Amino acid sequence: MAESTTDKIKFRILKAIDISGFTLFDPIVRLMFGEEPNKQLERITKFIIVPILFVLLCVGVWFWMGPRHKTKSGEVPTPDVVWSSVKINDTIAEREKIKADDFLASGKDRAERLAEVQAEYSMLEGDVTEARVAVEVAEKEKAAKQKGLIDPLQENYNTKRADIRSEAKARSAMITDLAAQVAQGSASREDLLNALREDKLKGDEEKETLKLLKAEIDEVRSEKYAPLQAARAKFDSYSDRLLFLNTRLEFLEKRNLATKLDEANGQLDGYLAAFDEAPDGKAVLALAKKAVRAEDSIERLAGQNYASSVTIYTQIYRSLFTVFVGFFMAAAVAIPVGILCGLNPIFMAAMTPIISVFKPVSPVVWLLIFQIVVGAFFPDPENHPLFNFLGAIPFVKDLQVNPALVFSACTVAMCAVWPSLVNTALGVASIDKDHLNVARVLRLGFWDRLVKIVIPSALPLVFAGLRISLGVGWMVLIAAEALSSSDGLGKFVWDEYQNGSSLTFANIIMVCFVVGIIGFFLDRMMIVFQRLVSFDGAPSAV
Amino acid sequence: MKNVTKLALAASLLSSSLMAQLDLEKDELKFGFIKLTDCAPIVIAKEKGFFEEEGLQVEVIAQPNWKQLLDNVITGELDGAHMLSGQPIAATIGFGTEAHIITAYTLDLNGNGITVSNAVWEEMQFNDPTLDSPTPPHPITADALVPVVEEKLDAGEKLQMGMVFPVSTHNYEIRYWLAAAGIHPGYYTSEDKKGFTDAQVELSVTPPPQMPATLESGNISGYCVGEPWNQQAVAKGIGVPVTTNYDIWKNNPEKVFGVTAQWAEENPNTHLAVVKALIRAGKWLDETDESGTLINREEAVRILSQPNYVGADFDVIKNSMTGYFFFQQTDKREMPDFNVFFKYHSTYPWYSDGIWFLTQMRRWGQITEAKPDEWYHETAKKVYRPDVYLEAAKLLLEDGYIDEEDIPWDTDGYKPATDEFIDGITYDPKDPIGYLNSHDIGLKD
Repeated sequence: MAESTTDKIKFRILKAIDISGFTLFDPIVRLMFGEEPNKQLERITKFIIVPILFVLLCVGVWFWMGPRHKTKSGEVPTPDVVWSSVKINDTIAEREKIKADDFLASGKDRAERLAEVQAEYSMLEGDVTEARVAVEVAEKEKAAKQKGLIDPLQENYNTKRADIRSEAKARSAMITDLAAQVAQGSASREDLLNALREDKLKGDEEKETLKLLKAEIDEVRSEKYAPLQAARAKFDSYSDRLLFLNTRLEFLEKRNLATKLDEANGQLDGYLAAFDEAPDGKAVLALAKKAVRAEDSIERLAGQNYASSVTIYTQIYRSLFTVFVGFFMAAAVAIPVGILCGLNPIFMAAMTPIISVFKPVSPVVWLLIFQIVVGAFFPDPENHPLFNFLGAIPFVKDLQVNPALVFSACTVAMCAVWPSLVNTALGVASIDKDHLNVARVLRLGFWDRLVKIVIPSALPLVFAGLRISLGVGWMVLIAAEALSSSDGLGKFVWDEYQNGSSLTFANIIMVCFVVGIIGFFLDRMMIVFQRLVSFDGAPSAV
Repeated sequence: MKNVTKLALAASLLSSSLMAQLDLEKDELKFGFIKLTDCAPIVIAKEKGFFEEEGLQVEVIAQPNWKQLLDNVITGELDGAHMLSGQPIAATIGFGTEAHIITAYTLDLNGNGITVSNAVWEEMQFNDPTLDSPTPPHPITADALVPVVEEKLDAGEKLQMGMVFPVSTHNYEIRYWLAAAGIHPGYYTSEDKKGFTDAQVELSVTPPPQMPATLESGNISGYCVGEPWNQQAVAKGIGVPVTTNYDIWKNNPEKVFGVTAQWAEENPNTHLAVVKALIRAGKWLDETDESGTLINREEAVRILSQPNYVGADFDVIKNSMTGYFFFQQTDKREMPDFNVFFKYHSTYPWYSDGIWFLTQMRRWGQITEAKPDEWYHETAKKVYRPDVYLEAAKLLLEDGYIDEEDIPWDTDGYKPATDEFIDGITYDPKDPIGYLNSHDIGLKD
């Protein structure tokens, strides 16, 4: 029976889903084509709805736990705080872009932008002043409220402390007395010792009491006052915006590239015009020198670009670039060496000690080693041909490849090389004997055997190895970047940790998700490749 | 008529910001900094466009710690950096990584604090009841800490404290503070590079931004670090800043702008342009109105609190940078000179500053052998380069950006002798050996 067109489409979609590893959506597709609805609904409930509910439950627990779980360094940010930090990072990136555009804007575009910014600026100025007043008011309220709470506590503490001090004094006087009596023989030694012991116990007790009272005061003092926090947040966000607008104004006016060029050109024209007026040769020479210098500075200006600060998006882009550089380095070593290992047991035996010893070494150690070993190749990074070459390629140019990136990539490669190597060796070693026998019968040469028999049959396992390698590399990268301070997600996390601001934890958790999601897609990508090279459609782990 | 247009033209030429641009050898630069508020002059010179006006495009990059910062300057990855005063000196004399580093600009004075953990603070309050008040009298000496140290020693332990780098101002300041109260912070020797020999308190290295976390985890009981990391401890309630380096030595030199001698030789005009921009940034930071209020600091704090610079919360940075300092949440004190970026001729690279650091390196054994007086003077002159500074200042004066009295034009590079230390000992920069011998604790020659 010929298949209908809809069936064809259905099977094609299902195949695509299968190859990409998203088998999860299989029942939805089948349901849409009306295939056994009850069975599909059951599968959807079991394998889609239940997992979604579980994830929602986890988010709920996170919401609930966050504010209840705090240290002095801060509390665990709830999902909404993390989301707001995502938005803040996005705003930062957007502002950088606007500033870069402002720097390059000229003519009518510049005038329009300028008018727009000026209008917003004058409006915002009032808001900022208002917000500042609101903060001051809230601060006063908080102080008054705290004073009301603290004053009685402090008073209590002070009287308690005075009491305790006088008591302690009385006790020590008593003890001195007692000592004198012991010396005269009118009291027993045991009494004096007991008195001293008791005094020590009492003293400790009193210290504890005071400590508790003080802790109470500190607690009140460190309590947050919600209206103040809200007022501060508002003030901060307004002031940030105002500062941004202020910078924009500068970039649209005196720091604007077109303005600077006009000015420089005007200056040059001025020098040239002054030539006619110059009284003697000396003056002309001086002017000519100035004119040449002005020309130079115009040339330099024309090549200038806005020095943007690094945003989260460039960090992600750079991390991806680094991980792929490392991954390809790893693959370039792992596949040939793996094939040799698989083909030749003696070579395998020779490699085994090296593989076994170096495989478990931590990326941190590798990074430190590469900083010296690889670093020695770049004594003068500014003028090194490799970096000059990379700096000339479009797209790669923006990434500002530097030795730190090379160290990170090498670290990634070093840690990612092992899974591919071992898997390739296994793949080659476990080729069906029949295939090799056929090759022998056909009297295939080494290269033919390699290209026609060995590599094709080892390919599924090779790709399985590469998939693990990419996963390992991505995981290692973050640590390597953090340690080598090579721009990327790792450095972002480390910088955030060092900032210690109120958004630090939210940003770190944000990166946790970014890394996780990107890692997930990288893995999916490798699964697709793996499926495409497997003849038997062997299922791979999802 | 023609004359009028010419005049107008001349005026427009004068007002032009491009007027005094130097013939730069290099116009794209990378400067490193550590996340501390005293990197402000470098950040401000970039953000307020002072570098741009000199024709420089500068990238300002955060470094994870002082060692990596120095290494990056030496390898050429960075053109220059925000450095501890001791770093160029130590690198030049070969303590730690050896390289000839010079400085032509002092970034700031003061700006550090010593913070102790809540537990230690409680014990100090117990030992000295006057401290047990919401506003204790300052300066606080380490006298109240002595019993704490002794108690620990009796229990066979040593009190652990943190500083940021072996040749950091912080190391010398906390050592000074401890030694002034008779607590021995330990010597460096040719074998003991950690500086624990004979120590009653052990000082270990932790990068500034990690200080509060290290204190909270209990690995150390106190630290000496720059801002905002003392205010961070106050804000989070994990420690109490007991004293500032302003109280230990009034108006002491803190950070410098360092470059390698080779870089300075290859890029003399670029170096001048950078120093010019930094002087203007320093002046901007210390600008005051008639009543003496610092007018630009709030904007500076706003800029510094951006995540790519210092990145701490606005309020935390503001607590120390706008003319006062929080010792506890209850103890806010006026300290207009806690951060000095320009006043008191502070940006001039004084030989006498270098000599003080050299005496401290000798005092604590980082310099392992006795040196004659002349050696101190010669070494300071190798590192500090007032010639570059004065040339840059002259250009700025010509353009009208600074005033005649802003710069000490005729000095020989030595500040007058001073006794404004917490222990009242006089430091005469002309007599380094005599100064070295005037301390109770420390090596003597």
